[in-house]
Amino acid sequence: MAGPLAPAWTPETTTGEESDLDRPWVTVVWDDPVNLMTYVTFVLQELFGYDEPTATELMLQVHHEGKAIVSSGPRERMEHDTNRLHAYGLSATYQKDA
Amino acid sequence: MKPFRRKGDELVARLVDAEAGIVGLLLDQLEQLLAADPADSGGDPVIERLLPPGHASDPEIAADYRELTEGGLRTGKAADLAVVRATLPLEGGEVRLDPEQARAWLRTTNDLRLALGTRLGVTAATEQSDDPADEEGSQLALYHWLTAVQGSLVDALVAGRGGRR
Repeated sequence: MAGPLAPAWTPETTTGEESDLDRPWVTVVWDDPVNLMTYVTFVLQELFGYDEPTATELMLQVHHEGKAIVSSGPRERMEHDTNRLHAYGLSATYQKDA
Repeated sequence: MKPFRRKGDELVARLVDAEAGIVGLLLDQLEQLLAADPADSGGDPVIERLLPPGHASDPEIAADYRELTEGGLRTGKAADLAVVRATLPLEGGEVRLDPEQARAWLRTTNDLRLALGTRLGVTAATEQSDDPADEEGSQLALYHWLTAVQGSLVDALVAGRGGRR
């Protein structure tokens, strides 16, 4: 997207030069033995508006790898996302992106 | 139990009286758990699972999060529980839910499964007990019964979602 109006820096491209404050926060869903796979997929669609294939892929990542990042952004929003996941009983935490 | 199915915009299941009675008892127990003074219930793994920490390793962030969200989380769970109680036929019979009530049932049946599953130490490998006569076996049977109820409700909601497209 080069052009006179293209931003010189976009938040999506992490360069490693940004300061600690610029790093986004992420919400992580963790695997747990109780929550049903169909339920986790449903909740991810419900709360984040993911389509079914995306939600399923994230759920499978949680299931097979133990965790998955389900959203990223400012700390306050990740707090809010974690809280909404907790209301549905999912194992979730938020943290500064590693 | 006749599992949840979609009928128009509604989700409908049928419980026999014994099943409805057990759900009623479980709701009472969950309500007591959620109403307990946080200071008194410290360390109870079930409370810890229902009101989990927001950060995996930083106790300061976890404490901030708890202060910010725990009250609302408890209130939301109590409101869901009240919806389930109001729509539960205590003598047995039909459960008929609109989509919003169905979400309250989803969250509350999940909380009951989390509570029972934590008490019983359920793991991914836990299977149906072959001895439902002993105490733990009957609790495990109850856990699996709740799984069937909740699972049918998820499936019915998902089926409706597809139908709307």
